[in-house]
Amino acid sequence: MSSETQQDKQVESAVEAGRQRRGGLHRLDVSATVGRPVVKLVLGVTLTFLMLPVFVTLIASFGTTWTGTLPRGFVNLENWRTVLGLAEGPGVRDGVITGLGYSAGLATAGMLVNIVVGVPIAYSLVRYDFFAKDIVNTLAILPIVPGVVLAVAFLRMYPEQGGSTLGLIVGYALLKSPFMILTVQSSLQSMNLQRVEESARSLGASWTRTFLTVIVPNARSGIVAGCIITWTLAAAEFNFTYMVHSAGPRPFSLFLYQNISRAPVLQGAAAVSVYFLIVTAVILILQTTGKAGFTTVERK
Amino acid sequence: MARDTAGGTGTESTRTGVGARLAAVRALLSPRTEAERERRRVAVMSLPYFVLAIFGAFLPLGMLARMSLSENQFRNEGFSLDAWETLATEPVYREIAWNTLWFATVTTTFSVLVAVALSHALAKYDLPFRRWIVAMVSFPIALPGIVVGFMIVVLLGRTGLLTNAVAFFTGGSRIDLATALTVGGLFLGYAFSLIPRATMVLRGTFEEINTDAEEAARALGASPLLTFYHVTLPQVWPGVVAAFVLTFRTALAIFGTVLVLPALNVATLRINLEIQDLGFNLAVASAMGLVYFVFIFGFTFAGVRLIDNESLKI
Amino acid sequence: MAEVTLDSITKRYREETAVEGIDLTVRDGEVLGVIGPSGCGKTTLLRTIAGFETPTEGRVRFDGEDVTHVPPENRNVGLVFQSYSLFDNMSVRRNVAFGLKMQGVGRSKRRARADELLALLGIEDQAEKSPQQLSGGQQQRVGLARALAIEPRILLLDEPMTGLDAKLKRRLETEIGSLLDELGVTGLYVTHDQEEAMVMCDRLAVLDDGQIQQVGTPAEIYERPETGFVADFVGTSNSLSATVRNGEIDLGFTTYDGNGLPETTDGTVIVRPEDVSVGDGDVEAVVRDRFYLGERVRARVELPDGTGLTVDLDPSTDGAAVGDTVQVAFETEGLHVIT
Repeated sequence: MSSETQQDKQVESAVEAGRQRRGGLHRLDVSATVGRPVVKLVLGVTLTFLMLPVFVTLIASFGTTWTGTLPRGFVNLENWRTVLGLAEGPGVRDGVITGLGYSAGLATAGMLVNIVVGVPIAYSLVRYDFFAKDIVNTLAILPIVPGVVLAVAFLRMYPEQGGSTLGLIVGYALLKSPFMILTVQSSLQSMNLQRVEESARSLGASWTRTFLTVIVPNARSGIVAGCIITWTLAAAEFNFTYMVHSAGPRPFSLFLYQNISRAPVLQGAAAVSVYFLIVTAVILILQTTGKAGFTTVERK
Repeated sequence: MARDTAGGTGTESTRTGVGARLAAVRALLSPRTEAERERRRVAVMSLPYFVLAIFGAFLPLGMLARMSLSENQFRNEGFSLDAWETLATEPVYREIAWNTLWFATVTTTFSVLVAVALSHALAKYDLPFRRWIVAMVSFPIALPGIVVGFMIVVLLGRTGLLTNAVAFFTGGSRIDLATALTVGGLFLGYAFSLIPRATMVLRGTFEEINTDAEEAARALGASPLLTFYHVTLPQVWPGVVAAFVLTFRTALAIFGTVLVLPALNVATLRINLEIQDLGFNLAVASAMGLVYFVFIFGFTFAGVRLIDNESLKI
Repeated sequence: MAEVTLDSITKRYREETAVEGIDLTVRDGEVLGVIGPSGCGKTTLLRTIAGFETPTEGRVRFDGEDVTHVPPENRNVGLVFQSYSLFDNMSVRRNVAFGLKMQGVGRSKRRARADELLALLGIEDQAEKSPQQLSGGQQQRVGLARALAIEPRILLLDEPMTGLDAKLKRRLETEIGSLLDELGVTGLYVTHDQEEAMVMCDRLAVLDDGQIQQVGTPAEIYERPETGFVADFVGTSNSLSATVRNGEIDLGFTTYDGNGLPETTDGTVIVRPEDVSVGDGDVEAVVRDRFYLGERVRARVELPDGTGLTVDLDPSTDGAAVGDTVQVAFETEGLHVIT
């Protein structure tokens, strides 16, 4: 009798505990119903915040005046004509073409330097273990110095060449190299590097030949993505360029700055839109190579 | 006698030191074992990067250090602590340091929090146009700071879209309502650049989450919030730290945005000021640049010690 | 093909020793299996022959020629890995022809030879595809064809079947085993799967803790293990402590004819489950566990002195349920003493 009552009591208390626990869970399930909408709201607001100014700028560049709430007088191509150098505009002498051409050349050279510099170091960091590897890795994948500080250092170290074409190329290569190194690293990590390399060598390929005919082609997607990203970032690099540039052709980013700081806002909008178009084109190219935009993360 | 012995051992130890070094050089030039060949490969493959880093960064930084101690603004001459004294004693520099740090901390924290939500949504939710959302979130990474500053003006400047809209509905003055050139406007400018970067770092982390453990936790009756706290958070923590380190570095380096929206006197702006407007004040600019570099370098390595290198993505 | 000799090979990494004092010969035309638990040094051995590890001490010889310091690309060895490690940037045919290209063989000749090998392995219709489009078994065939294409002096196979599903694995074992036989390939086959090794290899070397325990034909290894480790690692075995005196093996609870075994007071008798007959014998044992394995039933019985013994039962045997007492006897032929 007494043992039975005891058992009953135990079951009762267990059920009670279960009920309480379930009740507690029920209350916390609020996070399932509230959490998701909140996160989605954050996503929506952030996307709007990131994209709204881009579209407003793009649309405004086709307006005539912007004195009321919205720009008016569409469609007016005058701002674009000025920016492209087809018409005289206030505050700015040259069109975008020379600057863009010069910057494209600088960015291409910087990108080539980055291939030569970035692919081999990315490979050694993924493939081998060596002394102070962690430090080298951290140095290689993070920009060593911010552009502004690098600029001051360049002005000191290379007073004559700091702002020259060569100086700008070296600066761009150094500032943007982490992007190349990271994209190449992530595409190398997706293959069994050591086994593939050893297979090739056992088949009689020298190490150099293995690297060029087997490793590099397999890392192609990473190299291409790295090239596109480093090129785009270098083409509009401002911080370093602004500080060191003294003479010679005016790079694209300085042209942008001039339009932003001295020209009417609608003309600035047109100048900025030129760059938007470049970035959009680049993102489309990246999407076709399998990357989802400006990211060093390999798509799975 | 004693001196002789000391000299003798000294020479001997030098000789073995030289011998070891010679052996290392020999191994590098004509390796005989596979391990030696491997070492040579690492050396050869790292060489281009180090050439670039030495001439592009280390030597200029060394010069920066020397310059900060120069008596002359244009040549490295003599030895003077004037620049450092200016930096240490003039209150404006303390204010700049404070501005730089608090603003970077606040904007970074905000951006990382938003990025956590975004990465969670991108990894977990079945979103339509996912690829395009990723592209849109990464788009601002490609925009230089001056463009970001310009867009904040477009939105919140005196003729800005939002300023005008608010003025229209409230009847207030557009000049009073314009916030682009306030600290708030600058905050949005920073967030515009930082949220995408933080998201890119965290996206990789969130995609590698072990969903089995999460599902097990849910099956055991944990709510999504509890699951996130007990199961997901410990897994993404290194990524969050990495995102904070990288985003904070980026925040410290922002220049173009603050040049267009000069609402707060931060270090990059001041370095520019020293060189462009206050005369060619290279010694002070060098000292500031050096402090700046040492701080970022130390901060990064301290941060990286907390996490493994795998989490570092930019 | 060549004879490959390892002369007292020792490989040490900073503190740990991977293999120590290994003497081993792979005879011309034979496939030698190297088996052992993971971490026993078998892969180090393979990589030393391939040239990816230079031994700390000792020599590697191909047909007597010292190749210890020859880099891998000049050794002409074929390598097949568990992770097929095919070149994804090349078609299947170009993968197979890669080695020939490195040797400077002309284009049409390369192509013909590659197609010949692909046909030999039954995947000639996959030649144009990219390796990523193939199944695991097909990829492994390509890997093998690629390694065979260069007519290597020795073919090194590192766990090539691991990761394939069981049925495919059995089929490939017999297929590849007979192909290697036919071609007279000298091979070193590293695996942790002893059954696979027994099917594929002419001789086996059992490795434990960086040292060779025994080298011999599969039958020798299975029937006459020389150490307790080999007996335990290869197949299922029972070890019983025993004394051998006056031509008699004394197991404590029973004695057997020692037919000329060396005398010992502290020996171990190894007996395989199939050498224990159940149902009729002079030793009583209690059945503790039964495992139904299809063609037979494996049982765990307990001897009078408390020792556990693994035995095989005929599935049709009645009266050997868990808890029953059965009579067991050892077949004298199957008793094998390790001192």
